[in-house]
Amino acid sequence: MKRFWTERLRHPFKKSGHKRRPIWLLLPVLLLVVLSSLPVFYIIMRASEIGLEAAIGLIFRERVYELLLNTVKLAVTVTLFSVLIGVTTAWFVEKTRLPGKKIWNVIVTLPFAVPAFVSSYSWISIYSGFEGFSGAVLVLTLSNYPLVHLPVAAALRGMNPALEETSRSLGYSRTETFFRVTLPHLRPAVLGGAILIALHMLAEFGSLAFLNYDTFTTAIFDQYNVAFNGASAAMLTFVLLVLCLIFLGIEMLIRGKAKYASVGKGAPREAQLVNLGWWTIPSLMGFSVLAILAVGVPLGTITYWLITGASATFDLAELSSSLYSTLTFGAGGAVLTILFAFPLVILAIRHRGFFSTVADRLPYFIHSLPGLVIGLALVSFAVRYAFPFYQTIPLLLIGYAVLFLPLAQSSIRAAMEQVPPQLEEVAGSLGKKPLTIFFTVTLPLIAPGVGAGIALVFLQIMKELTATLLLRPTGIDTLAIKIWEHTSNAEFAASAPYAALLILISGLPVYLLTMRSFTHKKEG
Amino acid sequence: MKTNHHRSKFLALGSSVLLMGMLAACGNDDQKDEDASAPKDNDKEPTTLTIYNGQHKDATLALIDAFTEETGIEVESREGSSNELAHQIVEEGDKSPADIIYTEETTPLIMLAEKGMLSEIDEATLEPIAEEYRDADGQWSGILARSRVVAFNPDMITEEELPTSVLDFAKEEWKGKFAFVPTSGAFQMQLSALIKTEGEEVAKEWLEGLKENGKTYKKNKMALDAVEKGEISAALINNYYWDREAIEKGPENMNSELYFFGTNDLGDMVTVAGAGILKSSENQDEAQQFLEYAISKEGQQILTDISAQYPLNAEAKASQLKPFSELTPPNGTLDLGEYSNGEAALKLLEEVGLL
Repeated sequence: MKRFWTERLRHPFKKSGHKRRPIWLLLPVLLLVVLSSLPVFYIIMRASEIGLEAAIGLIFRERVYELLLNTVKLAVTVTLFSVLIGVTTAWFVEKTRLPGKKIWNVIVTLPFAVPAFVSSYSWISIYSGFEGFSGAVLVLTLSNYPLVHLPVAAALRGMNPALEETSRSLGYSRTETFFRVTLPHLRPAVLGGAILIALHMLAEFGSLAFLNYDTFTTAIFDQYNVAFNGASAAMLTFVLLVLCLIFLGIEMLIRGKAKYASVGKGAPREAQLVNLGWWTIPSLMGFSVLAILAVGVPLGTITYWLITGASATFDLAELSSSLYSTLTFGAGGAVLTILFAFPLVILAIRHRGFFSTVADRLPYFIHSLPGLVIGLALVSFAVRYAFPFYQTIPLLLIGYAVLFLPLAQSSIRAAMEQVPPQLEEVAGSLGKKPLTIFFTVTLPLIAPGVGAGIALVFLQIMKELTATLLLRPTGIDTLAIKIWEHTSNAEFAASAPYAALLILISGLPVYLLTMRSFTHKKEG
Repeated sequence: MKTNHHRSKFLALGSSVLLMGMLAACGNDDQKDEDASAPKDNDKEPTTLTIYNGQHKDATLALIDAFTEETGIEVESREGSSNELAHQIVEEGDKSPADIIYTEETTPLIMLAEKGMLSEIDEATLEPIAEEYRDADGQWSGILARSRVVAFNPDMITEEELPTSVLDFAKEEWKGKFAFVPTSGAFQMQLSALIKTEGEEVAKEWLEGLKENGKTYKKNKMALDAVEKGEISAALINNYYWDREAIEKGPENMNSELYFFGTNDLGDMVTVAGAGILKSSENQDEAQQFLEYAISKEGQQILTDISAQYPLNAEAKASQLKPFSELTPPNGTLDLGEYSNGEAALKLLEEVGLL
């Protein structure tokens, strides 16, 4: 304590304490702000090529209204269903004595390993009635709810059991406790997942093309596919950005200013788990149905194609080279994204303020843009200002970071919200440098969140298609590209080996991700 | 204390993931360096052509392999959708790594030519291609042709019941019985042709009728699949989607058949896939050689055999397709003049709300 005060006296400019934003945080954040602004500049540039009148004509037409309705309907419905499913599965897996939870946790996270465009064409190939709104809601909910399940499960794990126990001891029932104590505590995790899903829905393309459901993003792709002045697409993108701002505004309103950290994790002991009793069988049935719909159907279809398909060939060289580039891009991109996400999250949580909020929200804003727009923006700027990097792996990885930063942010943020700043302050008072504090105090505490972030970004990059097509070095194929090449010719059987391999390797990070929580518990 | 133990375990896991990534990244760089240096040491000709390819991938790759074998010039192919690739080239401008662009339809080529981004192809190279299938200024050339067709499912509808003109599909009686792909390049060419021959008003009325009565798909192949499965009676597509499947499965195993109007109707329109050389290319000579090969009898035979499209060099023969000479495309629709850049069609699609 004494040392703390002498430090303060020696460096009077530090008086504002932790509120001052250190330069080592600001620099990377500024770089990010510039990178993330590129797509917005690009859209403004393209949109300004036509006059105001033409622009208004392009925005205020019936088709745009139709698209708006379609997009909002899809985003809201999928997000609600995903939250419902994700919170439920997370609660059962973390808080009850559900038989085989270890395996269930892996299984319910597994849909995340199946690219939505793969599952959409497997549903369509079974029955074409899955086209349109209801099919889109079904397929997209099933492939996106893990975005809620994962952070909520992590939050439940990190939650001090004493909170719920205190509530019970004060006379609240289990249900009341869930709604009054548990759920509010889960708010950052639920919101983090929900906003990601809503923004995903704005930018989703591949599966919606198969499901024949039009949104802004599919319309933007159509525009690029047929038109050459980019202006019409830019105007649609504009509307998309406005929509995204509204979503982000709603999220911020709900998030509020509440803090969720507690000083000390409480005694490191097992939380009381709920005995399901005769609810065990229905719960297991529910999990099974979910698993069949989300994992069984796409895997079953792929297996069917592998066995029966005439166009299925195993080109081992192609398979292994596209596997190699998929893994390289995935790992490199995930690491880069996480490195970018740290300073953003620290700034947003520990140095709240206008700039921090804007910097923190900007990647989310960009997240609602179709990969095509981000890809074209990076192409345009790299060609002009960084040509040696054009069509090289570093630029592609930067593209991934811009695209998927929010996934890393929300995972790290959810974990960090639960880390009390007092711990870092104590370390600071003991004379540790900020970076040392980060590595010795903060990082170990948020390690689960970081792990989740890496896995999420890794998974998404492996599934990414449009930006990869634009930014990759010529001649390098990823698994997703091979799948796209074959499915766009409707050679489903030929795509099957690549799809199977993609799902298989995606299963690995999913498994690691879920396994960790249980080793923790067993020995804890 | 125990929790710390787990954390360090997880940290170890995390850092090994990091390390794996970095190693993988380095490994890839090494590989790239090798690739880049190898030709310099071994070959006299270090040129590698880059082709942005929006056309049928397997056919193009087969053509490239044969070309490399013949000339020793390596060719890298970058796959993508034709229009996205053209957009990319516009963004890249003078610095485009592409030497050649090869597209599904001629519209992107015409756009690039209008922007002055294509260079002239040698007269001698173009020789085997009839004049109506190439640019008057020699900036691009058609490579392959295909016909618009109606694929229909005979279990659901007989050939006699099909209309005598593609324009009839806009009529009430066809409601719910056919599918079309408004975002496909060939459909837009068809629409542009209608605007040119019958005027904007007729075209708009037709388009509104199609929107009202027909089902839309994003891909020709998906529309064909719907006909094959008996979900819809008929679909407006290009011949090769059906022919490729028929060659793979055997025509007797197809549930659907092709219908040609046979009366120089718009429904039998012929559209062309083509290629051009980028002005910004530093490998003009090699690029010319590549196009020469693609147009030669040998190259054309490879392309048509794999992709089931019609060769434009009359010396090559398409074996399993309806003979090119028996096609009856509508008159005056090969050169669409002022409508060839597709903008009028695009405007109509937007007005009608299909885009």
